[in-house]
Amino acid sequence: MERIDAAQARDHIEMVDRILAESHPRLCAGGDFFVVWGVASAFITVLFHLVDIGVLAARTLWAVPIVLAACVLYSVLRARGLQGTIARTSLVQREFFNVLWITLGVAFVVNVAAFRIFTGIAEAAIWTVAAAIVLLYIGMHGNRRAQIAGLLVVVSLVVANFSSPDRTAYVLAAGMLVGYAGFGLSEMLARE
Amino acid sequence: MDELLLSKVRLGVVAELLNYDWVAFSELARSLDVSHGNLGAHLSKLVDAGYVEEEKSFVNRRPLTRYRLTRRGRDAFAAHVSQLASLLKEAK
Repeated sequence: MERIDAAQARDHIEMVDRILAESHPRLCAGGDFFVVWGVASAFITVLFHLVDIGVLAARTLWAVPIVLAACVLYSVLRARGLQGTIARTSLVQREFFNVLWITLGVAFVVNVAAFRIFTGIAEAAIWTVAAAIVLLYIGMHGNRRAQIAGLLVVVSLVVANFSSPDRTAYVLAAGMLVGYAGFGLSEMLARE
Repeated sequence: MDELLLSKVRLGVVAELLNYDWVAFSELARSLDVSHGNLGAHLSKLVDAGYVEEEKSFVNRRPLTRYRLTRRGRDAFAAHVSQLASLLKEAK
């Protein structure tokens, strides 16, 4: 039977410590998903607001399903492309996708099936809440950027609440752009 | 002591896989700074022991081999590191 002395044991433990210290929990891939969905969400929120105040015609809302379909198509194709190519897939990333689908799935059902309860700007605010949950979940796993981004999204929700009604949509859109899309951008830049 | 994990390379592989779902062969070789041949031999032993799961596929017509830690490998790693720590404590 092979034996090991104290010096070798110390050497092995130091190597394990070094490897674990370097394996900082991160998404590894997927920053672009946040950028795409954050920008789309901000666009849709502002579009609904502009139609609501009469700046744009109601027919421009046809852009919404087109943008959503484009985002879904991008996400599916990108996810399939990533599946076999990325060198590392973190456990945080796997869990993140589970949380993402559950949170955004519930938000989608609320938006589509509970529109009498959550009317007007509440529909956009629900997506902001879902975005905050996703970001703060990633932040819980030690990602400092996600913690800051999640807090920014929550702050945008509170600021939107106390803003004048004509500014609420812009504040929520800014939260999605700076917090959600901004987090995705920072992840992509960190990867490089 | 787990004899399979007494090898520094194999212990390093398991530690590398600990916080990841899947890691590619080339990425393991790069981060552990070992030759492909050497790493391949060590990985075979870990796969045979059921500590590590192997997945072979083709991406853009190029082969891609990825590895992930099994529950058995995770438990073995925890027990082994605990024993290493005990050994160090006894030596002090």
